[in-house]
Amino acid sequence: MEFLTVSLLNGVIYGLLLFMVSAGLTLIFGMMGVLNFAHASFYMVGAYLAYTLQKVVGFTTAVVLSTVLVGLLGVIVERFFLRRVHKHGHAHELLLTFGLTFIIAELIKLFYGNFSVEYRVPEFLNFAAFQVFSTDYPFYRLLMGVVSLLVFGLIYLLLTRTRVGIVVRAAIHRPQMAEALGHNVPLVFMAVFGIGAALAGLAGALAGAFYTTNPNMALELGVIVFVVVVVGGLGSMAGAMIASLLIGLISSFAVGVDLSLASLLGLLGAGDWAQQMGGLMTLKVSSVAATIPFALMLLILLIRPSGLMGEKG
Amino acid sequence: MKLTKILLAVLLLALLVLPAILPAAMVNAAIQMLIAALFACAFNLLCGQGGMLSFGHAAYFGVGSFATLHAMSALNGQGLLPTPLLPLIGAMGGFICGLCAGWFATKRAGVYFSMITLALAELLHSLAPHLNTLFGGEAGISSMRAPAWGLDFGDATQVYYLTLGWVVLSIALLYAFTLTPMGRLTFALRENGHRLQFLGYNVHRLRVLVFALSAMFAGIAGGLQALNLESANYVLFDMRFSAEVVLNTYIGGVNVFLGPVLGAALMTFFGNAASDLTQSWLLYQGLLFVLVMMFMPSGLAGLVLCWSAQIRRRGWLAIIPAAFSALLGAGVLSLAVVFLIETLQRVFSQDYQALLMTDQAWPAISLFGREWLPGALLTWATPLLLGVAGLLVLKLARHQWLRLLDDEPVVNAAALRPRVEGEQP
Amino acid sequence: MNPTSQNLLSISDLHVHYGKSHVLHGVDLHIGHNEVVSLLGRNGAGRSTTMKAVMGLVPPSAGSVQLAGRELTGLRPYRISRAGIGFVPEEREVFANLSVEENLRMGQQAPTDGATAWTVEQMFEFFPRLRERRNTGAGNLSGGEQQMLTLCRSLLGCPRVLLIDEPTEGLAPKIVAVVAEAIREIHRRGVSILLVEQKLTIALKVSSRVCVMGHGRIVFEGTPQALTDDANLMKEWLAV
Repeated sequence: MEFLTVSLLNGVIYGLLLFMVSAGLTLIFGMMGVLNFAHASFYMVGAYLAYTLQKVVGFTTAVVLSTVLVGLLGVIVERFFLRRVHKHGHAHELLLTFGLTFIIAELIKLFYGNFSVEYRVPEFLNFAAFQVFSTDYPFYRLLMGVVSLLVFGLIYLLLTRTRVGIVVRAAIHRPQMAEALGHNVPLVFMAVFGIGAALAGLAGALAGAFYTTNPNMALELGVIVFVVVVVGGLGSMAGAMIASLLIGLISSFAVGVDLSLASLLGLLGAGDWAQQMGGLMTLKVSSVAATIPFALMLLILLIRPSGLMGEKG
Repeated sequence: MKLTKILLAVLLLALLVLPAILPAAMVNAAIQMLIAALFACAFNLLCGQGGMLSFGHAAYFGVGSFATLHAMSALNGQGLLPTPLLPLIGAMGGFICGLCAGWFATKRAGVYFSMITLALAELLHSLAPHLNTLFGGEAGISSMRAPAWGLDFGDATQVYYLTLGWVVLSIALLYAFTLTPMGRLTFALRENGHRLQFLGYNVHRLRVLVFALSAMFAGIAGGLQALNLESANYVLFDMRFSAEVVLNTYIGGVNVFLGPVLGAALMTFFGNAASDLTQSWLLYQGLLFVLVMMFMPSGLAGLVLCWSAQIRRRGWLAIIPAAFSALLGAGVLSLAVVFLIETLQRVFSQDYQALLMTDQAWPAISLFGREWLPGALLTWATPLLLGVAGLLVLKLARHQWLRLLDDEPVVNAAALRPRVEGEQP
Repeated sequence: MNPTSQNLLSISDLHVHYGKSHVLHGVDLHIGHNEVVSLLGRNGAGRSTTMKAVMGLVPPSAGSVQLAGRELTGLRPYRISRAGIGFVPEEREVFANLSVEENLRMGQQAPTDGATAWTVEQMFEFFPRLRERRNTGAGNLSGGEQQMLTLCRSLLGCPRVLLIDEPTEGLAPKIVAVVAEAIREIHRRGVSILLVEQKLTIALKVSSRVCVMGHGRIVFEGTPQALTDDANLMKEWLAV
């Protein structure tokens, strides 16, 4: 029971965090047709910037500042890099973002070294929120979840209730027509990119303190975020939310499940044989928890490539 | 055309006599170069020719490697496959794996295809350490090259010639493929898959075949790696290797057959040479890739072709001013960038940071044979000024280059833009 | 060539390339204040391309487009739109993920000097159907309703010149009549219109002047009567 509750909570919160990062990515893809490899790098830069600034201005300001700075980075990337190769096609843009990810990761290693840094939750936030059966549940975890929910709410309101939101949604659907109606679509692209990046940065600034902050975090998270975006449907915010929660929960639960094919076969009486076979048979779900999202993505790509909530084509 | 054939012959000759001239360490580097070149060439069959960008190609390289190693241990030089023929196992492993993976991946196109290949590679990467019999778990598997055909394959030279033979053969086969009807169809796949469908071709089957062939040759490269290193472990499936082949291929140029070969050879060579001199080699590689993507989309090979086209039109003398400026500008700019990065690397390194004591001036770092103080203006002004100088010279080079292109028919600059590829920055 | 010094929209020697394909070979076209000009010709003659070039959606390789003397060539589409040119595309291009009302709001702009002002209320009065459907997703509208929507949407930008591309394509005869009437009403209220229309009868009925395009050039310009009188011309450039 305890395992269930804790995994549920953890899964939801991890999912919400994933959503903060993937929301920007899916919006950018829907709008510009570019799958931004560098998006997860924004997450990483957010963490590292917050870590650096924290020593100077304190935790809260550091988080806010790093969010803004990463947003600016996003704007620079869109304006000076992506826009330049736009005419060469989507594959080219994809490759450019790929190269940028590479560079950002190497620059991080240059300045901060190859290993993780001591970015920790500050003392004033490091306490238990409540008790789940016998364990303390950290307040900071809840904080991350709440911030993500607030962000989601804000984006939702912005997109559906404001004029800017209407323009963004229209531009996602038909950018040329939106521009022919007098809207500065290039500016909208830049702004969406920047905000998407800022969200990733915010997620990084928050999560980096709780989880680890190291030069590999972009790659590790990046692949998961791709999975989320593909499973949810490229361009759909609702899809990103659903997929994020799904994957968050699966990852969370899978880590605690020590079952394997052998245990399943054990129910049928073939347990010993399976144990002897070894290899795939004795592979525990917990060990391959990390691969389940990929399997899910493969499944979706084959059955319903536009994703759970994506539009066809 | 004649010139190309002569150049290729000279290159081949140089490769043949290489072990006699170079020291053993360089021969090892050369082996790595050859393997990387083949891998890139195989990758380009899928990517440049077939138009399918795969982000997980290291999987097939790795499978080829492991398959060959298993064969090495199992056969031990006897039986049907003596050591020199072992890469065939790598080929087979790569082909079968490519067939399966390709069948899934090619069901979708574009970005989705790329994501599937990425997912497959990552899946393999995550699973491999758990599958002990196949992949040897975390430690991997190792074997020994068995003697065959009168050779003992004990030293680098023999391995080098074996590798050279396979690489030349494979690349020749890959080239021959582009001349076959099937090869032409591959280009058509890239240009307009839809059209092919309407013409009655089974596009999916075509794609799977191209994928499998590309994986097969990647498997050969993996097999050669297995023979060379006599070991393999799951790290081969790491994203890094898939990324590297993508970078190498595009830096070389996807539209020219030998482009990826050029790119991979250069990058591997510099990687080997530079890794002793600098810790930031990967950063340079990434920067080069981004520069190529932004300013020379047809890669280094495309650049070479562009220049040789001008030489043919105007003669060697005419291009000298532009060439000189370009080289000078690029050189100075590179120097500035390297200076800056190396300085930063040293200042931020752990060893240096440990030396820092509060309220004391930061100690000097040595670079290019001189001592530079991080606090001094000169240390930062030098790369800045060099960089600006380099950019200005490059701007001049661009001017001169555009003047060379002068009597191309132009309607207006807007129409000119998309047509001129490989333009100098 | 209509060299009135009071031309509202002047297209001079317009060339457009699609890659290496030379599609427009020096188009000269002028629209005066409060005129409806039809652009006729077979498919492929370059009529839609001309409109897209004016709107900046396709870059001109040479030539000039001016609105009341102001040079618009080479500007981005949103600037051209803000200068006072509206565009109703052949494909309609409604924003299917937005409601009817949101679509209309997307088109709203403040009127520039000399432009007629329009309001959303007026649109709903013109086409009560749209008011009924104001909260429906635009993707759920019928063809005719979508055409109404896209027409109103562009009109709400208060343009001085409205470019309309094949508005009656694929519509039932009853709706075609409604569209034709709408065009007349828009004209009556002071907006100049450049109309590409396949249905010759409609075009001749609503226009004050017609231009015929062939192979990327203007091959005839004159009154509707002059066109119908010239049987040879009709056969050479318009007959299928």
